[in-house]
Amino acid sequence: MVTATNETLLEVEDLQMYFPVTSGIVFQQKVADVKAVDGVSFTLKKGETLGLVGESGCGKTTAGRTILQLYKPTAGSIKFNGTELNGLKGNSLRAVRRDMQMIFQDPYGSLNPRMTCGDIVGEPLKVHKLTSSKSEYQERVSELLTIVGLSPYMAERYPHEFSGGQRQRIGIARALAVNPSLIICDEPVSALDVSIQAQVINLLEDLQEQLDLTYIFIAHDLSVVKHISDRIAVMYLGHIVEIAERNELYENPVHPYTQALLSAIPIADPVLEATRERILLRGGVPSPMNPPSGCCYERKCPDPDNSGDPIEMKEVSPGHFVAVAQECFDQYGCYWFPREG
Amino acid sequence: MKSVNHLSRSFSRLFKKKVAILCLILIVTIYFLGIFAPLIAPYDYNYQDYSAIREPPSWEHIAGTDFKGRDVFSRVLWGIQNTVIITFVTILSGSLLIGVSLGLIAGYFGGKIDSFIMRLGELFACFPDILLVILLAATLRPRILEFVRWIEDNTLIEGLVKSGTADYLVISLALVSFSWVGMARLVRGQVLSLKENEYIESAKAMGSSTSRILFIHLLPNALSPIIITVSMGMGSLIGTEIILSWVGLGIQPPRPSLGNMLLEGGSISAIRSVPWMLVTPGIVAWTLVLTWNLFGDSLNDVFNPRTR
Repeated sequence: MVTATNETLLEVEDLQMYFPVTSGIVFQQKVADVKAVDGVSFTLKKGETLGLVGESGCGKTTAGRTILQLYKPTAGSIKFNGTELNGLKGNSLRAVRRDMQMIFQDPYGSLNPRMTCGDIVGEPLKVHKLTSSKSEYQERVSELLTIVGLSPYMAERYPHEFSGGQRQRIGIARALAVNPSLIICDEPVSALDVSIQAQVINLLEDLQEQLDLTYIFIAHDLSVVKHISDRIAVMYLGHIVEIAERNELYENPVHPYTQALLSAIPIADPVLEATRERILLRGGVPSPMNPPSGCCYERKCPDPDNSGDPIEMKEVSPGHFVAVAQECFDQYGCYWFPREG
Repeated sequence: MKSVNHLSRSFSRLFKKKVAILCLILIVTIYFLGIFAPLIAPYDYNYQDYSAIREPPSWEHIAGTDFKGRDVFSRVLWGIQNTVIITFVTILSGSLLIGVSLGLIAGYFGGKIDSFIMRLGELFACFPDILLVILLAATLRPRILEFVRWIEDNTLIEGLVKSGTADYLVISLALVSFSWVGMARLVRGQVLSLKENEYIESAKAMGSSTSRILFIHLLPNALSPIIITVSMGMGSLIGTEIILSWVGLGIQPPRPSLGNMLLEGGSISAIRSVPWMLVTPGIVAWTLVLTWNLFGDSLNDVFNPRTR
């Protein structure tokens, strides 16, 4: 972990990504929206690692991809190094993409099976015309492969000849090819087994130190996130419900959802593990197509289903924010946490 | 250890199949004979030997002669040449150029573009193939002939009509009109499933241009079904071209084609009195269609090992 500088690299404000649901065969009509990301805001300092956790379907991957402009956001602003990314097109977007890259979840699906490892790693160099000669190109590809712990002679091989961990290393080398400052890691270790996970995580940490990288680390494995992140944001139903420094979040979780999540981490000590208390949540996650607005989980207020207040981030201690509906919180002290059933 | 890619692995598997090798040899031989017909054929296709009319096979005319004393073997070779030209033009322009690019575009961009291209394809595909081809060939022919004559009159190019260029144009246009649909559909389907892969997303994330994604990432991954379809399609194209000439809308006499030779030799009286007029073109046509289909089958086996 590198200590974060004070320079802001990325500023995301009220990001919304709605996917339209259409019906009809010939004349399609929009009938609803799936609110995958619904008002996410955070800032990211240079050199920092932000962990993004949450259960599947909470919008963490979509948030990552929207920041990279792989999806066109419905609303909100994404400022990268002071440049507004929303609405960028063509060459200006391509120029920005030299600075932000992504590492994908599935090491089998993220490499083109018809290209050699060298071609895959070297493709960004060709796309952005970063090398001037063939020998320089080959040198750079070898260098990238060496950085991620592969051997240059492997450049001739095809993806199916590598193991899962090696493939993920190829993916990392490809992301590094353009010398980016921000890398969005979309569950980079979820598809790997535990020993390989450790290798890849250590590699990511070493690279951060060497190359001065900033990460957004999307994962659902809380121990992995705790290990690598400086700050952690917990996502629920398209919102960030709690965001804080790593230690603050793990020691003083405020939101009931964060508390439940943290209570689910197994402890690597059988005696302690036997006494670990799990918080079980009632009900289920509401559908993102038609989410209820209220704080209905805690049911402290008289009308928990119908709190029309806008959701705000309440600072409970310095740098530690929790999602609340202001009026509800002021009167009854409950956090924003809609549940179904 | 040497790394080999999917295609070269598949082809090395293909060359271990006896049927595939046999088909390939036959196809290459027949096409070679057709392409070099002017050099190989012992007689011109129009040369009439009045002393040998309706002669059975002999050393002088190894496949016999027809009603007008023309050498059947030479005419078959020239006929193959026409088949070669027409099928190649049709496959290259129709299936590969139009079909593949429209399929890529429809699958990748989706939405309205996709609907437009596929509905257009369905418009062509809802006619029975043969009917559409006959209709087009019959209605296009006068206009194309006029057009080619106009070119001859207004430029220095001569002999277009005589060399059969107009015929080639008519038949190819008619065949292209339906042959692109299947290919476009196939490629679109492939692209629809391939574009969901993360490597396409990663290509977008690194800023690759659309054409790079289409031709470097999507097309190579869709190549094996395309190769299979082309090979299978060759057989049916040859068949359709023969039928077209057989009903009199294809290659016009006196230029020979397998189709109009089958027509001439196919009447009951001809079969009774001069069966050799039917035998040679019949065997060649049959072999061409069969070998292309068998070859396509073998390709299918090596490219889709799961279906074996």
